[in-house]
Amino acid sequence: MKPGLPVAQIRSSIAYDIVGRNALRIQRRRDERAIRKYSPGPDSPMNPMLRCLAGVKELMSAHYLSARYAPGVHPVAWVASGAPVEVLHALDFRVIYPENHAALCASRKMSLDLCQAAEDEGYSKDLCSYVRTDLGSITTGRTPVSFVPRPDLLLCCTNICQTVRYWYEVLAARFKVPLVVIDTPFLYEEPASDHQLAYVQRQFEEELVPTAERVAGRALRESAMHKVSQESLVATQLWCDILDRSRARPAPMTAFDGFNLMAPIVCMRGLSETTRYYRKVLAELDERIANGVGAIKEEHYRVLWDNLPVWYRLNRLSRDLATLGVNIVACDYTYAWGELAGMIDPADPFGSAARAYLYPILNRSTGQKLASMKRMIADFSVDGVILHSDRSCKPYSLGQIDQRDRIVDDVGVPALLLEADHNDPRLWAEEQNTGRIEAFVEMMQSMQ
Amino acid sequence: MTTALTGLTLPSRMLTIEHARERGLKILAALPYHYPRALVRAHGFHPVEVWAPPSARPDSGAQHFQTYVCSIVVRGAAFLLDAGFNAVDAVLVPHGCDALQGLGSVLHDFVSDRPPILTLYAPRTRRPLDVDYLIDEYHRLGDALVAAGGHVPSPPDWAEAFAAEEQADSALRSLYERRTCLALDDSAFYAVVRAREYLLAEQFVDLVGTLPQGEPPRPGVPLVLSGIAADPLTLLDVINQAGAHVVADDLSTGTRRLLPGVDEPDPWLRLARSYMGGPADPTRADPVAKRVERLLTLVQQTGARGVLTIAPTFCEPEQFYVPMVRAALAEAGTPFLFLSRESAADIDAQLVSRIEAFVETLEVNR
Repeated sequence: MKPGLPVAQIRSSIAYDIVGRNALRIQRRRDERAIRKYSPGPDSPMNPMLRCLAGVKELMSAHYLSARYAPGVHPVAWVASGAPVEVLHALDFRVIYPENHAALCASRKMSLDLCQAAEDEGYSKDLCSYVRTDLGSITTGRTPVSFVPRPDLLLCCTNICQTVRYWYEVLAARFKVPLVVIDTPFLYEEPASDHQLAYVQRQFEEELVPTAERVAGRALRESAMHKVSQESLVATQLWCDILDRSRARPAPMTAFDGFNLMAPIVCMRGLSETTRYYRKVLAELDERIANGVGAIKEEHYRVLWDNLPVWYRLNRLSRDLATLGVNIVACDYTYAWGELAGMIDPADPFGSAARAYLYPILNRSTGQKLASMKRMIADFSVDGVILHSDRSCKPYSLGQIDQRDRIVDDVGVPALLLEADHNDPRLWAEEQNTGRIEAFVEMMQSMQ
Repeated sequence: MTTALTGLTLPSRMLTIEHARERGLKILAALPYHYPRALVRAHGFHPVEVWAPPSARPDSGAQHFQTYVCSIVVRGAAFLLDAGFNAVDAVLVPHGCDALQGLGSVLHDFVSDRPPILTLYAPRTRRPLDVDYLIDEYHRLGDALVAAGGHVPSPPDWAEAFAAEEQADSALRSLYERRTCLALDDSAFYAVVRAREYLLAEQFVDLVGTLPQGEPPRPGVPLVLSGIAADPLTLLDVINQAGAHVVADDLSTGTRRLLPGVDEPDPWLRLARSYMGGPADPTRADPVAKRVERLLTLVQQTGARGVLTIAPTFCEPEQFYVPMVRAALAEAGTPFLFLSRESAADIDAQLVSRIEAFVETLEVNR
């Protein structure tokens, strides 16, 4: 990319660096004060919110604001959530995650209209609702972040699903920009073989780096890559520590807090803001643990959540479960960004990344996922498991019937298969799901 | 099986399996759909493909998979669990999509008392480095076949396997080239095409060589059939009865598996290059433009008046490109209909009406 026009740079400096960031900082302080002052009423099952939730709003708003004013100043990449973003950060890209954007649309109750807009274009209702939400957003221009810049580069990695492979082909055809594919063979068996590792590493070195360098108009510096990898390593370790704090009883946070707090590790790993922020989160959780403050007032049942969240019902579901004395203390989905921490080696950024990006939970077998869940059941002293059977996420959901049966038979805790969808609210059956959750809680009660 | 038009008789799968066993071959149940046949044969296996068998009651599959999983996976699983495992020595589940990934993983991890489950992950791009990876991946499959069958192929085994399978592929290609000179209606023609899914290579070559010459019945308007599979084959009768006939296809059970021959002494490289040279295919995530180009080429070459695409419900590879394919074909003046239905399910009145309405549109546009 050619150096940005002064106009674009000046606009970016004023709108983002001078006005935007300061305004967001002021807003965050206001939000923190409001959270401090707010006390849930006696009827509420919740304890006071985490103050650090104000910080994630600031971080993510800054993230989208920075991208908004990037055109002409920084190259913009749209990236799948499992993609190796470190290279792009080292080349000073501004990065948009369509999946995160789609989740944001759902939590702001926009996903239904956007899904319908995509369906009106001819996209099937059977396609992933993240995809439909984002394609609907592109078509209508509607977004909760006011503006999403068009990409200069697309990067998808098949370690979460093949859906992204097709999704990004559609985006490439629409935007007519380069698409880099990191194809990660699914690990039916482990450990990954040498040829699988070599294949992924070669794609980083022979496909991603040269294409990203060409789009960015600059060469990738080893020192920059090392720094970003180091930040990424620290961030993933911190993220793992944050989630592990819920081993405490009562747990200082719910998985629903985790769904909100995960945005920086998905979108901004490799950046120093993320590590700074997660240190603050960790400190607040430690403070809560020291004071014996849990996320909910009465933590009778500790539950593991499997799969993506139901974004459009996040708060409601959290409250409804808390009313029944249920705290979702762990989730294998949020853990996916933390459990790879030990694989990242800044001294060997591409070799170690090849391993780390082959091993996300979604690229591992159904048996490995069951083993992970069993480990979490033990580590977090879990009383039951809710497996979100997510119509939009087949790689995550296929295998759940057997996994549920094994959890019940082998571990002896109740497990509920809850039919829904992460972004399409039409697939939430209120009465049916409420009844099933209540029956599940009764089952846990009978086993205590 | 006997077709109405020609009296054509095809051996059943069970007879073929018996015949293959008599020849000393082990049996490999192969799920859809890209796998290196010569490699399988060189290792002493005969592949018999499993595509949503209509006889399979989906119940056993539904015990493992949710309702939003494609019928090829659910029925395929049911067939294997109910009877198929007993008839074969190994099962190969190529990674054709997320649903087949789930099938392979669930069978491997959660089903006991079964033959070995083998897997294959072919690349979703066509870059030089993909060829290197695919060679290694074929080696992995070869090692698994050796473990399952105990036969390490010798150079003569490879030569024999390539000769047989490439001859069968040539026969399949010639079948398409001669389709206007064969007295076969569409359902009979595709019954023969799909016999390649289970017959021994030699049987298939013999079959193609004995087909009746003559003028095929060609009712009404010509169209291109695209998608995964025309299942059941009586769907083709519905198309004929509606006043159309198939002049070319872009089916996973048809020309998408016509791979080019490659002159290369190393068998692994030969297989990998052949695969990489195959036609544009949505299950291989080829770009939308390539897919459109292929369809338009077929339309132009054959004078087809429209494109009919049939895919199983929940088939992501097919569904993703539909709006773009439809728009590109419309721009070229080619009507397009996409039908999503459960594979092997009975043909209902609604489906018949949609096909009739589409064919009427083509007739009006003639």
